[in-house]
Amino acid sequence: MTLLAVLGLTALFAPLLSPYDPEETVADPFQPPGRAHLLGTNDVGQDILSELIHGSRISLTVGFLAAAMAVGIGTAVGVASGFLGGWVEMVLMRAVDLVLVVPFLPLMILLAAYLGPSFWNVVIVIGILVWARPARVIRAQVLSVRRLEYVDAALALGARPTRVMLRHVLPAVLPLSLAQFILAASGSILIEAALSFLGLGDPTAKSWGSVLYYAQARSAFLSGAWVWWVLPPGLLITATTLGFALIGHSLEGLLNPRMRPGGGAS
Amino acid sequence: MWRFFAAKGAQYLLVILLTVVLNFALPRMMPGSPLLFLAGEEVGFLSPEQRHQLRALHGLDEPQWRQFLAYASNLARGRLGYSFQRGRPISQMIGERLPYTLLLAGTALVLATLLGVILGAAAAWRRGSGLDLGSLGLAMLLESVPSFWLGMILIGVFASGLGWFPIFGAGTPGISPAGWPLIVDRARHLALPLATLTIATTPGVYLIMRYSMLAVLGEQYIATARAKGAPELAVLRRHAVRNALLPVATVFMLNLGFVASGATIVETVFSYPGIGRLLYEAVLSRDYPVIQGTFLMITACVIGANIVSDLLYPLIDPRVREG
Amino acid sequence: MCSAIVLVLVLAAAPTSSGQAGPLRIAIGRDEGSLNPYTYQTGYPGWNIMTLVYEPLFTPDADNIPRPWLVRRHTVSPDGRTWSLTLRPNLRWHDGRPLTADDVKFTYDYVRRHPHSRWTPQVRSIEGVETSGPTGLTIRLDAAGSGFAAQPLADLPILPRHIWEGVVEPRRFNDVVGSGPYRVAEIREGQFYRLTANETYFAGRPRVREIILPIIRDATVTFTALKAGEIDTTSRPLSPEVVAEFEKAAGVKVVRGAGYASTVLQFNFEHPLLKDVRLRRAIANAINTRLMVRLLLLGFGAPGSPGYIHPDSPFYNPAAAFAPSKTRAVQLLNEAGYVDRNRDGVRDAPDGTPLRFTLLTLAGNPIRIRAADLVRAWLRDLGIDATVVAQEDASIIAQVWPEFDACKGRRFDMAVFGWSAPVMNRTTSLRDLFHSDCRLGTLNIGGYRSAEIDRLGAALTASVKPERQKQILFEMQRVVAAEVPVHVLFYQDGVYAYRSERYDGWVYQKGLGIVNKLSFAGPPKP
Repeated sequence: MTLLAVLGLTALFAPLLSPYDPEETVADPFQPPGRAHLLGTNDVGQDILSELIHGSRISLTVGFLAAAMAVGIGTAVGVASGFLGGWVEMVLMRAVDLVLVVPFLPLMILLAAYLGPSFWNVVIVIGILVWARPARVIRAQVLSVRRLEYVDAALALGARPTRVMLRHVLPAVLPLSLAQFILAASGSILIEAALSFLGLGDPTAKSWGSVLYYAQARSAFLSGAWVWWVLPPGLLITATTLGFALIGHSLEGLLNPRMRPGGGAS
Repeated sequence: MWRFFAAKGAQYLLVILLTVVLNFALPRMMPGSPLLFLAGEEVGFLSPEQRHQLRALHGLDEPQWRQFLAYASNLARGRLGYSFQRGRPISQMIGERLPYTLLLAGTALVLATLLGVILGAAAAWRRGSGLDLGSLGLAMLLESVPSFWLGMILIGVFASGLGWFPIFGAGTPGISPAGWPLIVDRARHLALPLATLTIATTPGVYLIMRYSMLAVLGEQYIATARAKGAPELAVLRRHAVRNALLPVATVFMLNLGFVASGATIVETVFSYPGIGRLLYEAVLSRDYPVIQGTFLMITACVIGANIVSDLLYPLIDPRVREG
Repeated sequence: MCSAIVLVLVLAAAPTSSGQAGPLRIAIGRDEGSLNPYTYQTGYPGWNIMTLVYEPLFTPDADNIPRPWLVRRHTVSPDGRTWSLTLRPNLRWHDGRPLTADDVKFTYDYVRRHPHSRWTPQVRSIEGVETSGPTGLTIRLDAAGSGFAAQPLADLPILPRHIWEGVVEPRRFNDVVGSGPYRVAEIREGQFYRLTANETYFAGRPRVREIILPIIRDATVTFTALKAGEIDTTSRPLSPEVVAEFEKAAGVKVVRGAGYASTVLQFNFEHPLLKDVRLRRAIANAINTRLMVRLLLLGFGAPGSPGYIHPDSPFYNPAAAFAPSKTRAVQLLNEAGYVDRNRDGVRDAPDGTPLRFTLLTLAGNPIRIRAADLVRAWLRDLGIDATVVAQEDASIIAQVWPEFDACKGRRFDMAVFGWSAPVMNRTTSLRDLFHSDCRLGTLNIGGYRSAEIDRLGAALTASVKPERQKQILFEMQRVVAAEVPVHVLFYQDGVYAYRSERYDGWVYQKGLGIVNKLSFAGPPKP
């Protein structure tokens, strides 16, 4: 939580925090870390630290929005198809199959090339690529929740299916949705990096992904430069994912009392 | 019962038909033309007539619907056609690559699922313990490491650094060993890509297993079983793990489909000659027949996995069977 | 018993006494088909590897000048239209059959009937080929062919008639019987090629016994393998930032030479504003190409010549040199009436259109993206607004050079684009790049029009004497420098590293690199 808050604040106050303009060539390229540049400079002599501070803005928003979009669609589809069954299930699950069946890479290239590189398009591309998997997993969970006594009981008592779905089924799958959200959030940040990597994102935008892209493309792995050029953005991505995970961890307990340690009180 | 299977069968048939159409349309919708890759680098020097001749040679100047009919009728007769670029039959190209992919991605998937299930179950069982938090943290960490960086780091440490494993390829070129040395050579080349892929796949399985397990452990019947005084391990094995496996099975089936295509990046980093790289290179060079062929094979895998998972659900989850 | 085995192993591992170097591992970046003239893929190193197996009549030397190879004597008629060639005696195919004038005639006919983007245009000017006996050949051209020795004579490899006769789909034909210093021994698609020396090669035994070409797609992995000694060299030039690393590595030598591949700022002449030469000149003046070379290439390159031709080329016109100046750029814009009329920070044309452009660039190439970004920043200082759009290869081509056909129009404002080294080596390159007729100006992707270039282009094609050609090329460079149809940003040097203890006989071919026939075989005795 604190981790994410810190990262969020960093993103918010990026211009105040960063020592240099990340778009400006301020020194010789490929400088190792020193007093003036704590993380050295990149391949055109921009300050890497400033790049990372500014990059947090795009990376966090893309990751958050895309994951929310994907898991939102995924949960809706999963719950609706798993609970309602019938033709709703058939249509939705065939759509899921279709998205899952089409190989990821060409779909990504196609979408990205079609929509063109911009912030929202990257979010949309990731959302479209990612939603089917949570949908599938959540449907499976719904199938097993649906058989539980209390759902049957609620239905038997004459509760409206929509109400049962929202009141009983949805809460039961939310922890799983959160797990999926965590996967999707880290996944989204990674896909953003991969899109940049393949040149389908916006390599002129400053994100952690694009910093990594240039590091990889300019041989940071071969020289010692990976210590200050590859590790920091990698660690930032990890920290973010970890932040998401910890939130998931605590929410999990709040949302579902039965899951509290030593639970079974319901 | 038969009506159920007939309905399912019809649905899958629909998906297959749709993918055949998509299969044809997707590569052609991608911007760019295969001409460069048909002709080579000096394509700019061709006269318009020669361009036309070249396109005609590959049936590319026909109207789209004709091209589609030709594709569909060839497909119906089991013909995948020839690669634009390599001029070789696609079935042969896929046949060469498939064993490598199965070896690499298949083994990685089995390993990752086993590891993920065991670690996930153990972590959930000991929720909040050092084991749980430690493994959770590690899973998060590994989940967020892009596989190409992981691959590069493994190369840096174990191949170029320590020299334990080779840096690239599926075998030492130029020597033709047989028997035991052959197996050793292949295994040495397999080790690092396999490790990369396994490490990249395990956290996903682990996280799903852990959460699913937590959900199951909250159920009444676990408490009941415990209250009845059943031994902890028996409860874990007989009740908890078994019931928690359903979402994991789903993920496994999904992954099965990705076995064919999902290893692209690892195969590229390690220059491993699998299907993923074949598809990736075909996409980059707009080699339509190869894209279609590999797409179709992957589709078949995913649909096969779906059918299997539909059949297996009742076996894994008794609650579904009752319904 | 055991020691006998050890002895055998030791003997097998020892270098052969004949002085041939052992298996040499040269990493390449991608598959090259089955390595015959219809299936190989890339201009470099694909063509160079393929010509180790299939040989053209001539071979370009280290300075890219065509030298007779399979040919013992040749004469050209005074009008430049008739070429008489005599093949060397006793040339043989890998299967032992003799290579004769008949095979040459067959090949020149074959590539006409079965289109190939590289060979077919080269034989367009041939009126007829006649053979006299097994070694005599007469080739008649419909016009004087200035570049005929370079292309096709030193470019088009000869096919064995007895194998290719009757082949109707050459792109699906994977035979590899050639006549060159190496035979294809093994192909593993996606993995490696193995070539073995042709011990009975007419120009003497090749200097390396066996060549293994592993395919490694990733550049960093390639360089790591080279550093670790898992490969002996690579056809991939070193990226500027790793050169220092290899210069201090033990057992590794680094060679450096001029690179003929160019990176250019391409203008679209169908854009109403970019038609104005004053605007293009101003943009050229704003770009500090020297700084680009220092910053992006770490000095491993040369700033672009305004006349397109690389300073190391024998055809370079030094009079066309140019020093950018920002003051001059501002002055040009002000004089032409491009001033900021609405005070939004962007200059406007006299009719009020703001100077806003998109700048396309290739997403897979970090140096080009950075180059585009620098251009953007410098134009910004000038009051010109450029937005960099980086897209994947095929998408860029679809906008800049649809279907690779300059006649098919274009959809872009400006693009950071590039041409490969062979474009510099062609005598006709300036005509190809700038001729108004898109069928002649096949590389004129900007749609540039100039009567002067057209006139000079026609004169160039008609000229036979090298001196006259040079004179025309000088003139053309002057026109290009004045009109700025493209602005050349830089040429990246070719820097190559190899393990010298494994083999040290490399020949650097100017503008290209070290993987070529001269590094392994010949030249044949005259």
